Amino acid sequence: MILDVMGVTCGYGSTPVLADATLKVNKGELLGIVGPNGSGKSTLLKAMSRVLPPRCGRILLQEDDIYEMRPSQAAQHLAVVPQEAGLDFPFTVEAVVMMGRIPHLKRFQREGQRDREIVREALRQTNTLQLAERLVTELSGGEKQRVLIARALAQEPEVMFLDEPTSFLDLNYQIEIMELLNRLRYQQGLTAVMVVHDLNLASQYCDNLLVLKDGRIFTAGSPAQVLNEDLIREVYGCEVKVEQRHPGSRPMLLIQPFNHRPQNTHYRVHVVGGGGCCGLLFHCLKERRWEVTAGVINIGDSDWQEAKSHGFKVVEAAPFSEIGLEEDQLNRLAMQKADFIILAPIPFGSGNLLNLRAVLEMAEQGAPVIVIDSGEIEERDYTGGEASIIYNKLLQSGVHVVEDPLQAVAVLEGDLPFVQS
Amino acid sequence: MQRNNKPVSIIMGLLTLVLIVLIILGIGIGAVWIPPGEVLSLINGHLNGSSINYQGQTLSHDIIIWSIRFPRVLLGAMVGISLSVAGAIFQGLFRNPMADPYVIGVSSGSALGAVAAILLLGSTGLKYSYSIPAFAFVCAILTIFLVYSLARTGGRVPVMTLLLAGIAVNSFLSALQSLAMFYSGDQMHQVVFWLLGGFSSRGWEYIGMFMPYALIGIVIAFVYTRELNGMLIGEEQAQHLGIDVERVKIMLLIASALLIGASVSVSGLIGFVGLIIPHVVRLVVGPDHRVLLPMVALTGAIFMVGADIVARTIIAPEELPVGVVTALIGGPFFIYLLRRHKTSIYR
Repeated sequence: MILDVMGVTCGYGSTPVLADATLKVNKGELLGIVGPNGSGKSTLLKAMSRVLPPRCGRILLQEDDIYEMRPSQAAQHLAVVPQEAGLDFPFTVEAVVMMGRIPHLKRFQREGQRDREIVREALRQTNTLQLAERLVTELSGGEKQRVLIARALAQEPEVMFLDEPTSFLDLNYQIEIMELLNRLRYQQGLTAVMVVHDLNLASQYCDNLLVLKDGRIFTAGSPAQVLNEDLIREVYGCEVKVEQRHPGSRPMLLIQPFNHRPQNTHYRVHVVGGGGCCGLLFHCLKERRWEVTAGVINIGDSDWQEAKSHGFKVVEAAPFSEIGLEEDQLNRLAMQKADFIILAPIPFGSGNLLNLRAVLEMAEQGAPVIVIDSGEIEERDYTGGEASIIYNKLLQSGVHVVEDPLQAVAVLEGDLPFVQS
Repeated sequence: MQRNNKPVSIIMGLLTLVLIVLIILGIGIGAVWIPPGEVLSLINGHLNGSSINYQGQTLSHDIIIWSIRFPRVLLGAMVGISLSVAGAIFQGLFRNPMADPYVIGVSSGSALGAVAAILLLGSTGLKYSYSIPAFAFVCAILTIFLVYSLARTGGRVPVMTLLLAGIAVNSFLSALQSLAMFYSGDQMHQVVFWLLGGFSSRGWEYIGMFMPYALIGIVIAFVYTRELNGMLIGEEQAQHLGIDVERVKIMLLIASALLIGASVSVSGLIGFVGLIIPHVVRLVVGPDHRVLLPMVALTGAIFMVGADIVARTIIAPEELPVGVVTALIGGPFFIYLLRRHKTSIYR
């Protein structure tokens, strides 16, 4: 254990911004501090980095209270990468990084060869060596950020505090910085405590996350322990999907935009699907807020799963069994209620031939049917030719034929004219 | 920083040369023109202690140079150094080009102290004059700490509140100064002339009362150049680098109080030097105080000696207060700078 934060309370006015924070940081750990705006993240970081003396509580670096150390002594162990650059003066990049050597120099000591080597190494590690002679005032936000990290590295610290180190950076540099910290942790045992806004980045790189809410530690633990949908809802007050590629892997947050499009309540479409060919179609229909029914699909079929996950009404048959007469009736009823019927390019076997017959009958009665025809019917005919005969008859019965699901949706939406063949 | 060393030392050499030439000229110029060669040999004679045997014209020249012009020019150079170094400290400490001894109210404070000393002690004899810089310094430091504590909120001194407090205190002190002058009666003309700033008839005794204060101030300033660089990138970041920010601030404020108190007490209020010189020099050599401070000192000395020569010669045999000259040169030049660097006045 390298840092021990014990019951730290901080605040500027009468109400504490951070109340009773207790945590331990291990050597070589990458700790991410997360939480919504105003939850006390930066305050905690300031307290831990010896900038904001806590009102009560102590912070120990190994055995020593950091607020009892001399400033230069503390700066030999703790380095800070601030959020705002503040590099408004035309120092060269090298000069700014050289400032990282200040805590190691005695009052009248000049920078020596070793200091210059350390600075060059810090520049090299942060990929800013080619900027060494440039003025910091001419740098982009991302370049400034890397220069500040280089300066912190030049301090040769044991613990580095970073306040949103990646917020100004492009994706490639975000990853580069996190990889750098990750590498230094193994190579030099560097401990990093950082405030991170991007929960996915935090999840992928941090060993542990400290979640703050309203100035208190809400919870702490590994990303897999901490990040879940309930926590996000409670702490951030929003809905996201949290997924893990496999059990034990680091969770990922998926943002699901709310669909503000008005629902097509008076339009209903019935999809005859099955065999896993309807994923895209279902997704598009859901996106455009059509009322969708589907059938007849066997329970457990991937189209069945898909339709269920979207909340569609499905006329379902038992797994791996033929469609019964009862289901067929229900299916026809759903077709009658629908404004459009879509026949997906499903493979036909004896089990679902009733679906095809039902569609043909509807078409012959003049119902608007859209057939998604992906080509040769013979290739998905497992009935020995019977399905092909019905299918070809269907194509002659005044249906609208399209080539793919997107076209079918375009027809539904009126973007393409509905033409009965 | 390495790559800049050579040009910097060349510029320093040139500036030193210019300063020496100007000082010799400044000693030579006056009601009686004394050529540089004679100036040099006479001063040399004094430094070697062999000046007793002069006769006639040489003797009178010797008196003019050694007792009148040399101390005056020397004092001008040193006040130039002090004011511009104090200005550089303020600008670096507060990361603000408008932070200048006058804006912060320190000059007014020390002027008030000096006025009080003159009025209370009487200006007849020089036996009291050694106490004038002490008064000026004490009032300068009181002003700084008054402004500092007014500006202090929650254990910190944000630049913004510091400037505001400085402006408020400044106007209050100016009012007090006016009040003192209102009641100064017969001494009013003398006080006013002194306040306008100048070096006329300042002899060695002024250098004697100026030096101890200014020297300490200069030494402190040069000890803290590295910390000043750190402060320039922000107080919090300076703290991150292990700089004891509050202590550095106090030491540097004391240093500038010493420099300003000493300057004001020997030469009155001379404006614009502390504002312009650091600014112009920074434009040329960059913000690194380890280079900036010596450059500022040299340039400030050159500027002040030059301004004093102008003040003495432009309406000879009358003499302008040097504060008027610096303001007349400095004001428009500063406006020109502001116009040219409108977007980033600190570059």
